[in-house]
Amino acid sequence: MTAHTFRTTVEPGCGVSDLLSTGSLVETCRRSAVRLFAAVLCGVSATFSLAQEANSTAQFAENITPFLAKHCVACHSGDEAEGGIMLDRYRQSANVQEDFELWEKIIRLINAHQMPPAEEPQPTPDEVLAVSAAIEAELAKFDCTAEKHPGRVTIRRLNKAEYDNTVRDLVGLDLRLADGFPSDDVGNGFDNIADVLSIPPILLEKYLAAATVIADRVYEDKAARKRVFPYQAKSDDERVQIARRNVNEFAAKAFRRPLSEDEQERLFGIMRFAWQRDANEADIFKTVITAILSSPHFIFRVEQDPDPSNDDGIRQLNGYELASRLSYFLWSSMPDQRLFDLAESGELIKHDVLAAEAKRMLADPKSMALVDNFAGQWLQLRDVSRLMPDPNKFPDFDGELQTAMRRETELFFAAIIREDRSVLEFLDADYTYVNQRLARHYGIAEVSGDGFQRVPLAAGRRGVLTHASILMLTSNPTRTSPVKRGKWILDNFLAEPPPPPPANVPELEEGNETLGSLREQMEQHRANESCAVCHRTMDALGFGLENFDGVGAWRDRDGKFDIDASGELPGGRKFAGASDLMGILVAEKKEQFCKCLAGKLLTYALGRGLGSYDRCTIKDCLTIMKENEYRFSSLVTAIVTSDPFTLREAKREE
Amino acid sequence: MSIQQSRLTRRTVLRGLGVSLALPWLESLAPRAVAGPAVGASGPQRMAFMFVPNGVHLPDWTPSQDGYGFDLPHILSPLASVQDDLLVISGLTHDKGRANGDGPGDHARSASVFLTGAQPRKTAGENIRSGVSVDQVAAQAAGTATRFASLELGCEAGRSAGNCDSGYSCAYSSNVSWSSESTPVAKETNPRLVFERLFGDGAARGRDQNAARREELKKSILDFISEDARKLQSKLGSNDKQKLDEFLNGVREVERRIERADDDPKISIDVDYPIPKGTPSDYGQHIRLMCDMMVLAFQTDRTRIATCMLADAGSNRSYRQINVADGHHDLSHHRGDAAKHAKIREINRFHVSQLAYFLQKLKSTPEGDGNLLDKSMICYGSAISDGDRHNNENLPVLLAGHGGGQIDTGRHIRVAPETPMCNLFMSMLDRFGTPVDFMGDSTGRLAELQI
Repeated sequence: MTAHTFRTTVEPGCGVSDLLSTGSLVETCRRSAVRLFAAVLCGVSATFSLAQEANSTAQFAENITPFLAKHCVACHSGDEAEGGIMLDRYRQSANVQEDFELWEKIIRLINAHQMPPAEEPQPTPDEVLAVSAAIEAELAKFDCTAEKHPGRVTIRRLNKAEYDNTVRDLVGLDLRLADGFPSDDVGNGFDNIADVLSIPPILLEKYLAAATVIADRVYEDKAARKRVFPYQAKSDDERVQIARRNVNEFAAKAFRRPLSEDEQERLFGIMRFAWQRDANEADIFKTVITAILSSPHFIFRVEQDPDPSNDDGIRQLNGYELASRLSYFLWSSMPDQRLFDLAESGELIKHDVLAAEAKRMLADPKSMALVDNFAGQWLQLRDVSRLMPDPNKFPDFDGELQTAMRRETELFFAAIIREDRSVLEFLDADYTYVNQRLARHYGIAEVSGDGFQRVPLAAGRRGVLTHASILMLTSNPTRTSPVKRGKWILDNFLAEPPPPPPANVPELEEGNETLGSLREQMEQHRANESCAVCHRTMDALGFGLENFDGVGAWRDRDGKFDIDASGELPGGRKFAGASDLMGILVAEKKEQFCKCLAGKLLTYALGRGLGSYDRCTIKDCLTIMKENEYRFSSLVTAIVTSDPFTLREAKREE
Repeated sequence: MSIQQSRLTRRTVLRGLGVSLALPWLESLAPRAVAGPAVGASGPQRMAFMFVPNGVHLPDWTPSQDGYGFDLPHILSPLASVQDDLLVISGLTHDKGRANGDGPGDHARSASVFLTGAQPRKTAGENIRSGVSVDQVAAQAAGTATRFASLELGCEAGRSAGNCDSGYSCAYSSNVSWSSESTPVAKETNPRLVFERLFGDGAARGRDQNAARREELKKSILDFISEDARKLQSKLGSNDKQKLDEFLNGVREVERRIERADDDPKISIDVDYPIPKGTPSDYGQHIRLMCDMMVLAFQTDRTRIATCMLADAGSNRSYRQINVADGHHDLSHHRGDAAKHAKIREINRFHVSQLAYFLQKLKSTPEGDGNLLDKSMICYGSAISDGDRHNNENLPVLLAGHGGGQIDTGRHIRVAPETPMCNLFMSMLDRFGTPVDFMGDSTGRLAELQI
């Protein structure tokens, strides 16, 4: 069993702590010191009541101070502190309001066994668990009402899906030209992250070529031409005026905002230039369309920073900016006319209007973009088609089944959106969508044909984690990997990414049945305390799914061994098999799951990694979801009315 | 464009009928004065870099004998016919591929460090940073000599979902070329699109009035969008400015290409090559098509610089064509298991067989009084040594081609432990005619390339 190989293909997923930028410790500390100073001046700490403060102090002194004293302050104290991190100054409190990022880093390094350094005496696993729980409790005291930090999104170019959808909605032709563009790089788990979307020269070349093709095709297609240039001159005198009007209106749609006078003049300029060169009408038309569709105002989604004179460095996004945020979040495309109208009238900046529009947009078929792009990446469905299970081990597996697997989970996600169902059904739904081929794989009778239909699940399967797609994604080509499965759940469903394995852990043997079943081998592996800390949870989750083989088919035996899908989660909750396990996750882990999902969806909605203050938004999302029976739309409306979605902050001084 | 117009028109390209290509570097043609690379009596230098993931099984890679007449272990055995045209270089190190305090993420680091020698900043999204890669150093110094400054190719399209490696953005795992420390250069993975990009236009460029007007209109579009970009840039913050810089660089590249249209060589001979249909499902065929693209690009002087990632860092592809069903990455964590070693070395050998194809093709392509390989430097390797240990010293590296007689090939050389891989790059840049004072973590040059 390649117990640790997953570390290179899977990474910590949802934890806010893992999404933080990683400046050097020195930087972080220096920044924190400045903020600490500022906080003292502003009296931020007065927001706590005296009683709370006393209680908090006691917790810190009791649970964290002794650990720091024993393992940290020898190096991290005084003016000569290692890395500039002075931990001796924390005696009463972690001061999370100012030093949140530092503590997130501390907890991560302790959990990852990177601190204290290997040559120093190591804390016991129980000490690590206890101190990290105590630090988590400190972090939870972060006060979201103290100040706002909605964050800042870097100027973002359209990614491939967005480019294609935008062209489709702009000119009415579904040309799929982005198929020929290079892949968009992925950051923070998604391919719409502004910082990672770069423009190498080849892409600009492709943009120009695509713009030319679009201009040609629009000119050739009567309906498209009418849509792009709707007004006709009734006399020669009118021609110039009408041409300008056509171009200005098209460009405003393409740029997703009204044009300035200067822009209108320049667009006219490019037409006039062509006309002066004796270009015919077709060439003038194509030239100006190509210019508009290769302009940075089309390629990028532009938002202006707050005015430097603005005191708090935060501004409310205007209607047009919000329209684009909404449409690219929910449709991966440009705003429709209604959004433009609401932007123009100013209505869209009202939160109730934003929420209502989000619901309208979810009901629109264009919201299937969320399935393709959000679910496709959160659940990694896009990777399903490139997996290659070993045909010797899984002779029944074929391309048809592979396609059906992905489709099942997509249809399930689509139903959650369409019927506005509880997101907890991702964990424990007792139904799914199958066609004949997949039904055969699942052992479900009486489903025929290629079409998918909703069916009840047998007792052994519940929720998305028992879909063949996810089960295959988290397996090796030749067999299951309980560790990969467990880690996948922790990363993508529970926002509890396990730290990477410490260097030089003893590895377990594989492929040698004389050593016992996979489970027995892994239990031997766990006998090593340093492994056990993390593997206890990871393995329990993974072994709960052992009734499903490497392509997600039910099995009672693995080779000569009977499957034992029972287990016990830390805290003592026992379960027998996947359905039981899913029941426990819904009962006891639903908050974690919702936070995880909210973090993923917020990342996707904003196009940036999350920072400390975003945990406030996630907290709000959770509250709103609870009040609304965990309906999908409640999460979406919570996001679109949140500060990071509706406000923009100037870049903070570093 | 050079070739007599009728031979290569856009239409023939798009019909997929095969196409005739210009071969500009002829004995009879005096080399044009170009800024940059040393152009020898019969042609310029070329350089290509090929990346393989997950390290190799070194015991079946490293020759036991040093110097001339070295033995070819199992993995290198496909190279027998070009053994005299290459160097096996043992002992190079990529120190910046090591964690150096950044924790896990060796695979992401291995691709981003491969041609940069720079420690990548550990970030999942915000502020990605590596260094300028050796191919781009050369391209920025000498790329104006050719229609394309450089060519970036690969056989895997990058991850489309999820995370790549332990807190590193996928940009680090799926690119080896970086044009600036913040800009990875995306690679093209579809051979048909590579072909069309290289040869698809230009031929139809007429000399008539309409053509002249079209050029003018095209330039007016470029002027319009650069002005848009510059105006926008003046209103934006620093991260945003950088994105607009990338945009403007792209515009300048295109402008440069248009301006070059007039100075194509006047004499040509024809080569026939069928237009690739797209991305073949057979992986070996895919790699070989990409090799063909590099050969064609060099032969026709569309570019002199190329990179190709045979697979992305940490790739877990299975190799059914050679009866290896397991994922490459899973296997690379072999923990000393002989059965896994056997499979890994077959994967390694498979990759080397594709390299052998590429080298043979270069060698069989005549140029001047020799062949293309004479004036090429093809660097092949991995920035991880052993896939299980993830170590970055004693890397598997080959340098093929004679660099215009500036490399004494046919040897297995061992360099001092911890010699930076970037020292090899320094020596390659010297021979390419684009020397620099340092690059990445270089500490000097590799004297061993010549006796």
